[in-house]
Amino acid sequence: MNNTPRLLNRILIGILGLKLLAVGILLMLLATVPAVGSWWQSWSGDVWDGANRLFDGTRFPGRQESWVWIVLALALVLLIVLMVAWVAQQGKGRADLLLAAEDPGSVPGDVRIGGGVAEQALKNALAERPDLAGATVTTYEVRGQPALKIRLHPRPGVAPHTLTADTSALVAALEAVVGQKTPVLVHVAAGARSRFSRAERVR
Amino acid sequence: MSSVIEQQNPTGEEPADASGGPGHSASLDMRRILDRETHSSRAAAAGIAATLVILFCLYALLESAVRAVGQPPWLVDPQTAAERIVSLPNGIPPLLLGVTGAVVTAAGLFFFLSAILPGRRARHLLDDPRVAVVVDDEVIASALARRARLAANVTSEQVMVVVSQRQAVVNVRPTSGVPVSENAVREAVEDELRSMAPIPMPAVRVNLATSGVIGA
Repeated sequence: MNNTPRLLNRILIGILGLKLLAVGILLMLLATVPAVGSWWQSWSGDVWDGANRLFDGTRFPGRQESWVWIVLALALVLLIVLMVAWVAQQGKGRADLLLAAEDPGSVPGDVRIGGGVAEQALKNALAERPDLAGATVTTYEVRGQPALKIRLHPRPGVAPHTLTADTSALVAALEAVVGQKTPVLVHVAAGARSRFSRAERVR
Repeated sequence: MSSVIEQQNPTGEEPADASGGPGHSASLDMRRILDRETHSSRAAAAGIAATLVILFCLYALLESAVRAVGQPPWLVDPQTAAERIVSLPNGIPPLLLGVTGAVVTAAGLFFFLSAILPGRRARHLLDDPRVAVVVDDEVIASALARRARLAANVTSEQVMVVVSQRQAVVNVRPTSGVPVSENAVREAVEDELRSMAPIPMPAVRVNLATSGVIGA
């Protein structure tokens, strides 16, 4: 429902996983197979010599340090910023408006209905039910269109289809009031709240 | 935008077509939403991965910044670190090296598998004409357990239901001396499943325990 970048998540996690796998397998081989050890020492020794030559060739005039360290530090800062941006993308996509439309009447202006209208109305309508331990309603934006997500936490043993049928009727009433058909997702969720709440005795 | 016109015209009975775009794209969007709801977003793994990379970068940044301004290193000078890595099988006990490698491999396997596996969540869809519905398998199991418990006339501790993608396993431990009809339990559970109609429909399997519970 939210705009978590799923493909990006898969790609980045996959890259990190492959790198860790390669490093781990190399470490294990180094510990067990002597031939790998001698190969590693000659190969990485060459790489390290190359890096050393690079550092020697890029010194600040008249000083000991190389400016490659500054470049490395900047690259690391950039990587950190990218990682923070990536984490900030997770779970994004909440919207404020349920409806934004131009009023075709004689009065100038347009009509906006906040998502809070639907959230409060549905939440209050569902709060009275004895078979629910809790309900949350949130507005999301899916491809530029507002959509509602209703999460229901039923008490143990409640049949989900009766619950969703009633919710569906509530949504129909809301649509009649707002005057717009909004995509609605109902998630009947299990969780600590439904697991540890008392079962509904009387029906 | 035409949805507001609908409101002014109470005889108009189809806000569905007014809400912008053909119904086809709306159903496509719903399909996509349901697809996303039944599969994991891997947000947790992404958070862990990003945190790991950030921590590593911060440490490397500290050491390389310290090096750039010519101060003594905090933990290890990059130069010595690189030299130690180059001479790797030497300078560290092979057991420690192997265990470190195993731990890193396990972490890599976790990330790699969570990236390539489909990541299906334990959820079923319900059919509803107006709204899209996903139900956690645990909720379905709890509803089935209630029906099975009433049909078998036992307490709720004697029934355990496990619902997976294609199977619902009902385990009943009868009260000692009180016979429980397996068919009655199966009938009740299947009846409940039929009226619930989850997609995909799980097949019911009932297991009656051979030993009973005393004093329940």
